[in-house]
Amino acid sequence: MTTRRAWMFALVILAVALASGADAAPPKDAIVIGLLAEPVTMDPAQVTDLNSARVTKRIFEGLVAQELGSYKLIPGLARSWDISKDGLTYTFHLRPNVTFHDGTPFNAEAVKFCYERQLNEDGPYYKTGTYPYVKGFLGNVQGIEVVNPLTVQIKLKTPLTPFLQYLAHQSLFIYSPDALKKYGKDIVKNPVGTGPFKLETWEPGVKVVLARNDRYWGGAPKLRQAIYVPIIEAQARLAAIKTGEIDLTIDVPPDSLDSLRKDPNITVAEANSSAVWYVTLNTRHPILKDKRVRQAMNLAINKEAIIRDILKGTAIVSTGPMSPVYGPFREEKTTQYPYDPAKAKALLKEAGYPNGFDVTFFVPESGSGMQQPVEMGTVIQAQLLAVGIKAKIQTMEWGAYLKKYLDAPDMAEMSWNPSIGDPDHVTYMLLSSDRFPPAFNSGFFQNPRVDELLRKGRTTVGDAERVAIYKEAQRIIADEAPWIFIDHGRQIIIHRKRVQGFKLHPNFDLVLSQVWLQ
Amino acid sequence: MAAVGGGGLPAYALRRLLLAVPVLFGVSVLVFAVLHLAPGDPAAIMLGAQATKEDVERLHRDLGLDQPLVVQYLRWIGQVAQGDLGRSIPLGRAVLPEVLLRFKATLVLTAGALAIAVLLGLAAGIISAVKQYSWLDRLSMGAAVTGVSLPVFWTGIMLIIVFALQLRWFPSSGMSSPYGSGVGDVLWHLVLPAVTLGTASAAALARLTRSSVLEIIRQDYVRSARAKGLAERAVIARHVLKNAINPIITVLGVQVGFLLGGAILTETVFSWPGLGSMMVRAIQARDYPLVQGGVLLIATTFVVVNLAVDLLYAIFDPRIRYD
Repeated sequence: MTTRRAWMFALVILAVALASGADAAPPKDAIVIGLLAEPVTMDPAQVTDLNSARVTKRIFEGLVAQELGSYKLIPGLARSWDISKDGLTYTFHLRPNVTFHDGTPFNAEAVKFCYERQLNEDGPYYKTGTYPYVKGFLGNVQGIEVVNPLTVQIKLKTPLTPFLQYLAHQSLFIYSPDALKKYGKDIVKNPVGTGPFKLETWEPGVKVVLARNDRYWGGAPKLRQAIYVPIIEAQARLAAIKTGEIDLTIDVPPDSLDSLRKDPNITVAEANSSAVWYVTLNTRHPILKDKRVRQAMNLAINKEAIIRDILKGTAIVSTGPMSPVYGPFREEKTTQYPYDPAKAKALLKEAGYPNGFDVTFFVPESGSGMQQPVEMGTVIQAQLLAVGIKAKIQTMEWGAYLKKYLDAPDMAEMSWNPSIGDPDHVTYMLLSSDRFPPAFNSGFFQNPRVDELLRKGRTTVGDAERVAIYKEAQRIIADEAPWIFIDHGRQIIIHRKRVQGFKLHPNFDLVLSQVWLQ
Repeated sequence: MAAVGGGGLPAYALRRLLLAVPVLFGVSVLVFAVLHLAPGDPAAIMLGAQATKEDVERLHRDLGLDQPLVVQYLRWIGQVAQGDLGRSIPLGRAVLPEVLLRFKATLVLTAGALAIAVLLGLAAGIISAVKQYSWLDRLSMGAAVTGVSLPVFWTGIMLIIVFALQLRWFPSSGMSSPYGSGVGDVLWHLVLPAVTLGTASAAALARLTRSSVLEIIRQDYVRSARAKGLAERAVIARHVLKNAINPIITVLGVQVGFLLGGAILTETVFSWPGLGSMMVRAIQARDYPLVQGGVLLIATTFVVVNLAVDLLYAIFDPRIRYD
């Protein structure tokens, strides 16, 4: 009766649901990408998370760009540039006939407008930011001058070589001044750039749809649409890529990689990244301040086993802050720490701790770029115990952890995924004594020669000289062992076979301009 | 249920709504205190490692986070009283439209889960009671114990693996296909999350329905009804269920609250674009205004649902009066 009618109704609904599922075949020229979360903001000046960056970098461009697949700088919205001999004046010659998605022209005035919005706290548009701009990138800028509509000059206060790489970061990408004036604070959901794609719709929590910019100066991309959907759960991302609901995704459970590699419809694309995963050691701690103790801790850990058993081969062993993607800047001939518990014990004995010692070890439950923090922390704890070091683990949720991390922990897990392709951004940022907390050198590592080198590296122009500087710094850093060096995560991107032309970029970006669908 | 003073149903409803004000006030104090006293700093999380000390301090000033907690609370609750829930810290959007938008998706999911809970729960409970100690009874009560014990995220992931990955009957996540939409599409996406969320409630309802029906079924008037020669089906529907329904409705009201809470996990597993998945992210980012707004909305809903349940008693049982 009533129950039966209800059941009939339920069955009809189920039938409708199943039938409507049948016609949901993916369109031929729209790629569907499964992100871990939806973008936070589309105001490039305020993007600090990877998900927002992956979407907004399709819409906006900088004066300078990176060659796909490396950190090599190539022309972007600027066709060319000159740097004055003193390293203080950068002159950019802009690309002519470029328009924003709203039809307004891109020119030197637009560049000046975008940078001054961030620089000038009393300016009319400073307050259009949801929160204050991070000063790191433009903090060293003295002024911006429009020489003529297609030439803009940026003057620095002091020479800063990574500046050119900063210009390739989304924070300094150029947007339509008219759009900012029109939308004000709502610029967060109304992005207007010059890039190969423009925003079509954004349904919060559901999807972001980008449409091809047919008037793109570099030639319209082959894809008609790029659709980004947030899929929070790793198993759900795995199911969605296997069934073809989505075309491309990241961060599936490492356990599933073998079966994905065997799937005839799926490609597993892999490449090294600039990421580094380490355990910070507090160099002011009464015991950890002894270099021999820190070296012993490095020798005590079997990194290969962690990578093989926990990370399922999705990383390579780290011997210092810089991964192989830094090419010539990376020093390979450094002090090495192969797994050697006997040598670790000997070093501890020499340092006066034959029976080890007690230490607190902070571990986040999860977190951006943290791989498998709890499992890895547990193995590290066990291997330290094998040489006598009793590390007491304290786990914490990521938000609370970040605060704790900057509060002088004895030892704590951390990962760094540099958004800037300059060696400065992984060395100076993490290991210079200019960067003590609340900046990110939370182990208070301080070495006068390293400080000198890293400061010099920031102001030296010319690759050959900089290569020598950073190589020497890496040799000292590896020997001083301010961290337990663990691994450099590899980027793993899973896509359906119909996705063609996809290429990985070292900073985890998902570039689409050259991609087409079969 | 029965209230003091006269005035009938409308007056009773009004009184109950007024009583909700101190409840919601208490909720606002609690959520504010818990959030602000928990470790973590929205400014540091948002600005990232690139930020200097000055950047973080400036943001604290801009957000008013440098003020004493009491001042911050009074400022916030003053805004709320005027219907302004503030702006999300990292998203920069007004909180009220944002939570209302997400709440719609949560309601769809909750309704779906409730439908499954009622269908499965009532059916299993009635069958178990009518065929007490039969294999059907044992099977459904065994299933109910299992259903109550299963954590939502486990059920969800298992359903994804079996029905999305292996059988491919249903999509693994989201509320609609990335391309195309429509009611059918939403229903198709709703099945797995609604089953995940509804299972535990269905199990609780089944056990309650069974005991409630068993209690009534032994009453004299039921025997009389049978003796009059009424068909068993009519006896159950007209005489037993009608009298067994009140405790079931009470529990149903509580279950709605449970479902709204359970939706947080289910929405995360299935990336359902509701309030729950948004809140998880907001909590991680220490997005105080958004979390506070979301909690207030859920608490309000809970109060309203409980009131509705109390009013429903009168409809199902005319003996109850509100004066």
